[in-house]
Amino acid sequence: MRAEPGGVSARAVFAHPITPPEALYIHTPFCAHKCHYCDFYSFVDTRDQQPAFVERLARELRALAEHTRAGVSLGGGPRAGGRVPLGSVFVGGGTPSLLAPRLWERLLVAIHEHFDLTAPGGVPAEFTVECNPESATPELLRLLRGGGVNRVSMGAQSFHAAHLRTLERIHTPGRVGRAVADARAAGIERVSIDLIYAVPGQSPQDWRADLERALSLSLDHLSCYNLTYEPNTAMTVRLARGEFVPAPEDDELAMFDLAEELLTAAGLTRYEVSNYARGGIHGPHACRHNLAYWRQGGWLAAGPSASGHLRVRGGAAPSGVRWKNAPRLDTYLSRDDGGLAPVCDLEPPDPARALRERLMTGLRLSEGVDALAAAADAEAAAPGSAARLRHCAQELVSDGLLGVHGQRWALTRRGWPLADFVARRMMSRVGEP
Amino acid sequence: MQIRNFSIIAHIDHGKSTLADRLLQATNAVSEREMRAQLLDSMDIERERGITIKASAVTVLHRHRGSDFMLNFIDTPGHVDFNYEVSRALKACEGAILVVDATQGVQAQTVVNAYLAINENLELIPVINKVDLPSARPEEVAMEVEQVLGLKAEDCLLVSAKTGRGVPELLEAICDRLPAPRLAVVPQTRALIFDAQYDDYRGVVTYCRVFDGAANPQIGELGRVASGATGSLKVGDKIRMIGTGRTFQVTDIGKMNPKPVRVPAVGPGETCYLVAAIRSLADVRIGDTVTLDIDPAAEALPGYKPPVQMVFCDFYPATSAESKGADFEKLREAIEKLSLNDSSFTFIPVHSEALGFGLRCGFLGLLHMEIIQERLEREFQTEVVQTAPTVTYKVKLHDGTSIDVNNPAEMPRGGTYEQVLEPICKVEVICPNESIGEVMKLCSERRAEFKTQQVIGETRQMVSFEIPLAEIIYDFYDKLKAMTSGYGTMDYEVVDFRPNDLVKVDILINGEPVEALSLICHRQNAEFRGRLLLRKLQKQIDRHQFEIPLQAAIGGKIVARETIKAFRKDVTAKCYGGDVSRKRKLLEKQKEGKKKMKAIGRVEIPQEAFMAVLDQGE
Repeated sequence: MRAEPGGVSARAVFAHPITPPEALYIHTPFCAHKCHYCDFYSFVDTRDQQPAFVERLARELRALAEHTRAGVSLGGGPRAGGRVPLGSVFVGGGTPSLLAPRLWERLLVAIHEHFDLTAPGGVPAEFTVECNPESATPELLRLLRGGGVNRVSMGAQSFHAAHLRTLERIHTPGRVGRAVADARAAGIERVSIDLIYAVPGQSPQDWRADLERALSLSLDHLSCYNLTYEPNTAMTVRLARGEFVPAPEDDELAMFDLAEELLTAAGLTRYEVSNYARGGIHGPHACRHNLAYWRQGGWLAAGPSASGHLRVRGGAAPSGVRWKNAPRLDTYLSRDDGGLAPVCDLEPPDPARALRERLMTGLRLSEGVDALAAAADAEAAAPGSAARLRHCAQELVSDGLLGVHGQRWALTRRGWPLADFVARRMMSRVGEP
Repeated sequence: MQIRNFSIIAHIDHGKSTLADRLLQATNAVSEREMRAQLLDSMDIERERGITIKASAVTVLHRHRGSDFMLNFIDTPGHVDFNYEVSRALKACEGAILVVDATQGVQAQTVVNAYLAINENLELIPVINKVDLPSARPEEVAMEVEQVLGLKAEDCLLVSAKTGRGVPELLEAICDRLPAPRLAVVPQTRALIFDAQYDDYRGVVTYCRVFDGAANPQIGELGRVASGATGSLKVGDKIRMIGTGRTFQVTDIGKMNPKPVRVPAVGPGETCYLVAAIRSLADVRIGDTVTLDIDPAAEALPGYKPPVQMVFCDFYPATSAESKGADFEKLREAIEKLSLNDSSFTFIPVHSEALGFGLRCGFLGLLHMEIIQERLEREFQTEVVQTAPTVTYKVKLHDGTSIDVNNPAEMPRGGTYEQVLEPICKVEVICPNESIGEVMKLCSERRAEFKTQQVIGETRQMVSFEIPLAEIIYDFYDKLKAMTSGYGTMDYEVVDFRPNDLVKVDILINGEPVEALSLICHRQNAEFRGRLLLRKLQKQIDRHQFEIPLQAAIGGKIVARETIKAFRKDVTAKCYGGDVSRKRKLLEKQKEGKKKMKAIGRVEIPQEAFMAVLDQGE
């Protein structure tokens, strides 16, 4: 269902019998500079809209918590009063570290007011904030730590000044190490950094140097992204105009392999196409919040352009409802359905679609996808699909792209760089999209 | 009344049809108001391309030196593909007007058409046309006519069909210089069918030239030798076609003036149209002899030769896989309708693994093929994919019999036949002196055997070769035009079948032979032709997760190989919560595109790829 912005709000999501969410994503749209490769909803901060945004966000968080409680009880779950328990919170952007400290205080209070981040098992919720090195000051980091933030994801991108310039990043290479140290000094133990490779002009040797520099920071988690030319970005337009030469595919592949080689040697395991953690997917350093995305967990979404997913009860096979908040700050501020945000996209539950999504995201993980469950769900969602799916998997196994480990389908070493190809094939065997 | 039967023959665009119109006008057969350019060409496509496909006969009356003349003139197609039509039209004539453009001079088709007329013992009147143009050089062109064709330069008439200059003199020459028809030699009626057209309302309209039988009382003496004749041709006669043995009742007989005018009877020396409830062109053989069923002639007139299809290609509906069935039926219907008014092409249904259902068609030549394709698209709105043309090969088997092969798929396995013979053409090329070297080189690359070289005027030469037809149906004409800046002209005629080292080249994709792509060519060209095709394929097939060898092979021996490298990287870097829907849709969309894929073994090939590789359209 495609709705006019403002026409439909997130209220429609909660008409479904949902199961309790595990996670919450909050989107802050402000940036110091709009980098030309970025296709997230963000714009250059003029500071004047931050207070209104945070107030609006607080109202949305309250409404989400209320509707979650109602939706869960509608689904036959216990009618829980009070705060909604969560396993993880992730504040991304944009540049969350650009939010003024006093507004951060207001946001943190709102989060804790409506959500319970102290899980009953004693493991506290994972609370991640994305930071840019230039705006992650020791003061802000201390403030975040005080508000329960226990993980930061630092947008380092490169340690090479020229490549940072190519990407239009505004920080200097040295700033990353200091920000990481400041985070640790503030008591935030889990620090991850993002790196981008295959930047125009970057050689595999440059990339090796970046990886070595990152490893020297004794990180337990690292994300390595192949630079992607997203449609409708300034950089893609420049590429089309021939303003620069993109990295050759052979180099991209060499850098993809180099990351795995160096990071594995340093004790980090690739647990998702672009993510590495000490201890792998089941260890304490893997990003719990992102795993909720990849394992089709339920998560709430707040802020303009944020996307959410909630599982629903019943149905022939697991399924959920997906939605996306309208992607403009002014719409978000002006349309307020009892606190809930206007949505621009709402996908009702569909077991076949849900399975295709599970194949798409699950095959990107080192743990892969449960083959028996997938086949059973395929058959339930679209009769005849199970045999097609299994046959397809066998072909991919014989091509050496897929492996079978303990009844799970997972990409082989050769399969990793062909994850989309494998997913496309497997997905095409499930139902009629 | 005296009768003159003649044709106008010319190189394309030298002004044949305009001259015909002008002659009609000069004899007052057509009023100014009725006059439209190129009156004899009845099909739109003919008018647009400026060429004549179907021959028509027109009869006009003219008074000259106090006598009445009946002038029957028979328009002929200008192109070599229709040589058969030209020659049968010429058989109905005693003379021909040879039109040569005063600015362009003698061209290849001028020569070939002139020879056709000379071989039929026709009297030729050379006409230098377009003398009104500033760039006209009539004296030089007249010298060329003398040099190349042996007709006297001083016999050339200078004419401008456009302004009418020289037309009265031409009419005089037609009456004075062309011979009268021969007298009847047998008392029974004999008429030659020199053309036939299909009319939606009347069925087949045949055009005949009467040679023998009783005199038409209006005409007089032509039937006088045949005393005791039972009659010539009139409405109500039961006629018999000597060749096919079939009989029909004449319902209408008349002349085109240029509109149809019914006449009571026709006799020896005359031409006429004849309608006799003939339902399909397939029931009529051009060149057959019409006689009366009540008193049939014992022997047919000489001249019947079935048209020979020399060039073959497949037509497939150029549409998506889903609507293929319906589109094939549409194509078949269109072809059937076309064949009603052009019996000289053949078609049989074929099925190709790669392209589905289609039709294998045989044509008289390349232009004929092009015209049919264009008419299909224009008159029937059918989009077609046309495969590379091939020629007919004669394969001599061990048991002494021989079979015709015009589809590489039908080529017997190596070792099961004695030899393969291919059609050989006599090719005349006329080109400017400065491009003679390049033309020679082009011909030698095409396995040509040089025959003669002759100077035409000061600036041009004519060279003759014998070249396998297979070598000229493949971009030869385009190359010739390009290297002569458009000045070169050529004409060809199939003269022989000769054995040669011809082989079938199989195309293999990932080890699997694909019959639709196989071809027959000379062994020395196998590698080149094979590689060309493999490179086209290479561009059309997406990379797979495994390496795909593309091979061209002769009987299992690989002569060319290209490779489609395996793709090694197909992965999105980021797939987070907000990316799921968008990315899922993207992957599903990419998958949808696969629906029109054809699987060859494990290789998925877009339907369009076959079309792109085989299509000769662009």
